[in-house]
Amino acid sequence: MDLFVFPRWSNKIVPLVGALVGVAPLYLIGLVWYGAAPKTVSVGFAPEQPVPYSHALHAGELGIDCRYCHNTVEVAGVAAVPPTETCMNCHARIKTKSPKLEPIRGSWESGQAVEWTKVHDLPDYAYFNHSAHVTRGIGCVSCHGRVDQMPVVYQHEELSMGWCLDCHREPERNLRPPSEVTNMSWVPPEDQLAYGKKLREQNHINPPTDCSTCHR
Amino acid sequence: MKKSSGARMWRSLAEYENDPEFTKYLHNEFGTPLTDTPPNSAERRRFMQLMAASFSLAGVTGCRWEEDHLLPMTRQPEGVIPGVPRYFNTAMELGGVGVPLRVKSYDGRPIKVDGNPDHPDTQGASGVYEQASLLEMYDPDRSKAPAQFAGGKATETTWEEYRKFGLKHFRDLGQANGAGLFVLSESTSSATVGDMKRRFMQSFPQAQWFEYEPDNRDNERQGAKLAFGEIVRTHYDLSKAEVVLCLEADPLGNGPETIAQGKGFAAARNPEAGRMNRVWAVESSLSPTGIQADHRLAIRSAQVVALAAALEAEVAPKVGQTATQAAGAAKFLADEKIKKAFDALVKDLVAAKGKSAILVGSTQPPEVHALGHRLNALLGNVGSTVSYTADDSNPELRQGLANLVKKASEIKTLIILGGNPVYSASGDVDFASVLKGNITSIHLSLYRDETSHACSWHLPLAHYLESWGDSRSFNGSLIVSQPLIAPLFQAPSIAEFLAWTTRDEVKDGQQLVRRALGERAADDKAWRRIVHDGGAVGSMGSAVSPSLQTLKAVSLGEAALADLNPSGPLEVTFQADPKVYDGRFANNGWLQELPEPAMKLTWDNAAFINPKTAAALKIEDCSLVTVSVEGRSITLPALMSPGQAPGSVRLVLGYGRTHAGVVAGAKAPVAADPVDPVGVSVYPLRTVATWDAAQGVKLASSGTKVKLATTQDKHPMDDIGRQGTQARLPQIVRQDTFANFKETPDHVKHAVHHPKLLSLWNDPVSYEGYKWGMTIDLNRCSGCAACVVACNAENNIPVVGKSQVLRGREMHWLRIDRYFQGDNPDEPDQVHNQPVLCQHCEHAPCEQVCPVGATMHSSEGLNDMAYNRCIGTRYCSNNCPYKVRRFNYFNYALPLTEDRNEIERMAQNPEVTVRFRGVMEKCSFCVQRIQNAKILAKNARRKLKDGEVHTACQDACSTDAIQFGDLNDPTSKVAQSANSPRGYALLEELNIRPRVTYLARITNPHPDLIPATAAEEAEEVKPEHHG
Repeated sequence: MDLFVFPRWSNKIVPLVGALVGVAPLYLIGLVWYGAAPKTVSVGFAPEQPVPYSHALHAGELGIDCRYCHNTVEVAGVAAVPPTETCMNCHARIKTKSPKLEPIRGSWESGQAVEWTKVHDLPDYAYFNHSAHVTRGIGCVSCHGRVDQMPVVYQHEELSMGWCLDCHREPERNLRPPSEVTNMSWVPPEDQLAYGKKLREQNHINPPTDCSTCHR
Repeated sequence: MKKSSGARMWRSLAEYENDPEFTKYLHNEFGTPLTDTPPNSAERRRFMQLMAASFSLAGVTGCRWEEDHLLPMTRQPEGVIPGVPRYFNTAMELGGVGVPLRVKSYDGRPIKVDGNPDHPDTQGASGVYEQASLLEMYDPDRSKAPAQFAGGKATETTWEEYRKFGLKHFRDLGQANGAGLFVLSESTSSATVGDMKRRFMQSFPQAQWFEYEPDNRDNERQGAKLAFGEIVRTHYDLSKAEVVLCLEADPLGNGPETIAQGKGFAAARNPEAGRMNRVWAVESSLSPTGIQADHRLAIRSAQVVALAAALEAEVAPKVGQTATQAAGAAKFLADEKIKKAFDALVKDLVAAKGKSAILVGSTQPPEVHALGHRLNALLGNVGSTVSYTADDSNPELRQGLANLVKKASEIKTLIILGGNPVYSASGDVDFASVLKGNITSIHLSLYRDETSHACSWHLPLAHYLESWGDSRSFNGSLIVSQPLIAPLFQAPSIAEFLAWTTRDEVKDGQQLVRRALGERAADDKAWRRIVHDGGAVGSMGSAVSPSLQTLKAVSLGEAALADLNPSGPLEVTFQADPKVYDGRFANNGWLQELPEPAMKLTWDNAAFINPKTAAALKIEDCSLVTVSVEGRSITLPALMSPGQAPGSVRLVLGYGRTHAGVVAGAKAPVAADPVDPVGVSVYPLRTVATWDAAQGVKLASSGTKVKLATTQDKHPMDDIGRQGTQARLPQIVRQDTFANFKETPDHVKHAVHHPKLLSLWNDPVSYEGYKWGMTIDLNRCSGCAACVVACNAENNIPVVGKSQVLRGREMHWLRIDRYFQGDNPDEPDQVHNQPVLCQHCEHAPCEQVCPVGATMHSSEGLNDMAYNRCIGTRYCSNNCPYKVRRFNYFNYALPLTEDRNEIERMAQNPEVTVRFRGVMEKCSFCVQRIQNAKILAKNARRKLKDGEVHTACQDACSTDAIQFGDLNDPTSKVAQSANSPRGYALLEELNIRPRVTYLARITNPHPDLIPATAAEEAEEVKPEHHG
């Protein structure tokens, strides 16, 4: 019979459970607050690079088109970090003595790659294709922010699945004419939503939201 | 409801006898409980991958994962776009025959091998060896540096050291004119190696060169000599043949022209177009061709000659010629069933005069080949289905090693160029003791194998994907191989090694090839064209028309004349393994785990034996037997094999490797942790005289039972017991005869009678845009399994090892079910293949039960898997009626924490996610290929064209049995094929609307041989009361 009677010490469990239930909402709030914080989802991630390359200077002040360096963006999945050769096209003549460019010259001489740190790092199971977006009229700025104003590039958007889907479900929020994709300061001629809808119809843009669109 | 076919169908003897082992799989899908422990440490090494880094994520503190780095090139070559695969034509040579290939390279790494689609020899298709050769290149067990061996112990050394030694050694030899210098090589058709051989013999005039090949076509060459007085190659155009007789030939499974012949076979097996050949197979063991044959006679290998002679004696007078052979006196020909078939065969051949083809297998003695030539000439096939080209290759490959051993006393230095003769020497040739003598021996090979350990020097050799070379395809076309990657381990090709040894002024592999090709490659532009195309267009060997000499009557021995009594005299046959060939591919996990076509055996070899013969000898299934011939013996497991000829035991070469690597076996002290060999070597049983088959064999059972990992009982598609199985199998594998098909083409559509199918769901999606679908033609599938290996390579499918396969956990997304049909378990009337993969059902049962939405339906009708959502409940697999889902019980993916894996991981396809432990996976219809093709088409603002998306299995298939494409496009090949009257869905009564359509098998039995019951049945079932 004793087998079926709770032992005396079990009485202490009741207040313990009560305390846990009381704390639970706080814990949940904390969890969501932390989980959704920009720091957690990497917004603002701005690692130090081997060369303090400034997009604000090159793309902003000097006005070099994004595709001068990221030249595969329209034909390949990856936008491609340029080979050392691209840097040397100019820096063989300009700022040839700058100590900041030492890693570039070193790489050019040794043939060893410059080890850049990836800023916009999607999970390995998500397959993003730049060409599919750029050729349809999604501007660089939509995902990367005003890179032309960033002395140090940082992650501007969440790059989370929900964020991707928001646009895949309603691409008109971000569509622009494909000729304007690298124009960082482009403004729509009319209301973006109305203009985007027009472009969507005109260019037959129907972004899929299937799992296999991104996960293979 | 009538039974749609009276014939009983079964997958294994266990199923036939309703063995409890089989019902276990039927009722408990996942076999063993999850509490099952992971494989022990020795096993773990074998599959290279289990467990290691799986829990390293437990301590993750933040949500930002490890930083990734980007390493751009310093100077980017023109045309290279990171992340965009490039394709290169190259070639692989095996047994002296080159196969033109196209290899996909991803950021400088070759990741997929396929046939060269622009070359008539492959037309894009390939076989298991070619597909798996990729993994061979990335095998971490490959030799990485030269080594010196003394008493089997290795001392690591360097190329520098070897050069120091070699320079002096070969200078001295050169001064002695090469006296005492011997070379042993594999057979090759390479002009470059031929050129280097000539130069080598100039530098060392007294040197002697021998060639050896454990699997060779000596019989064919000597047969041609017997028939024509000269050596010629025989080519068959199966697309033109109405009647094909295979005398132990296996054109669909094994042979120098398998791929081209598969294409020809497929063209002649197109019932919709009114074309249907008739294939007769006479063979001792079940081959892919035997599976597809309309009539198959299982007789001992030694009896084939008697049948061929009797055939000549019967056919010759019927075509107005004098027979050279005596009429059939063999006892087995008096057997009622054989007699009837034989008479029909004679009739059939005579009726199809000029449109038949008689093929003789390379394991048959020269006399049978000569008889084959004679029959082809009698029947007027020469010039239509049969043609000949000149053959200047070495006709004595099997004696090569024995001839070398005879000169043992003269040998001072022996160079072994590739091959593994210590392992592959026949039992009567004591090659190992030659190496034990006081000689210098240098062995070049991919691995430090059995031969390397017996030599004084071992040097690593480059893989074909790493080196320049050339070869000739079987029809003589010149094909060129180019490297896809710099040698991973600083190894030279054979030509480069010889150039160094002869101190040639040309050292570079590419220049050596160009020099050997002479005129053809002299001009840079012409050479670039040849390399780009993968060979020279129109360089086929010139056709010859040899004249037939008078054949003597062949003398028939006792074994040839014996009857079919299962307890009669015993023979063993030696055949190259359909997976590991002569043993060279033994350390390849993809191949070891591939189910062998006939008995679905993995990770082992066995003595394949007819069940009745086994019963007569009191041998139990999977028990160890000792096979002895003339005092030589080996012990290996026996496997009851329906379809095996009575009295004939099939042995396959290539197993029992002791110095291969962690996959196939490595002995201490070769490996720090020894790994038991996979299977047993049958080479010791073979002699030069009994190369292909030995008579007077004794079998003794030890009674010890062992476990053989066959997959034939795994993943049974039905769960409703034996009765249901019997009723349903004929509906799953549907068939009809050609005669019936011509009358009622859609007869097979009515094999299942079900009430009107009502859907539980509204049809949710209209599938605008693309609607992906596949068709699989059972009339063409030979079961060669190239598709399975192609799928492995494309989709990063892990190798799990024997112990996991025994638990039913093999990960293949595509399996080939093989069904026997008939009421006699020893001699099935028919054998069927059925590739089964995810059917991408429109109302997929798996999707309904996933609690986390990890498997979802796409708008194009694909059944998607989102691996990162999967929590591993396995409900989806429970609910899948086709049993095509595979669960990752362990972290089979190779963890990077182990050094050796870094190389092997380079073989993985970066376009496909590597799956983690606890995740379900299955065929995705190669969704990565679909998506990439779609993106490219959309970038160009156009729709995909038919044929732009291929699945990996479709690419590999040599008989075009698999079609894939957009069902919404009525002009697409797949849509037309799916509309065939032969088309049916698997388990259509479930109304889950699979996207895969099977095309029923159409057999074309000779009218004289149609069983009475089948003829009646054809009348009986009429398309009525359905729908």
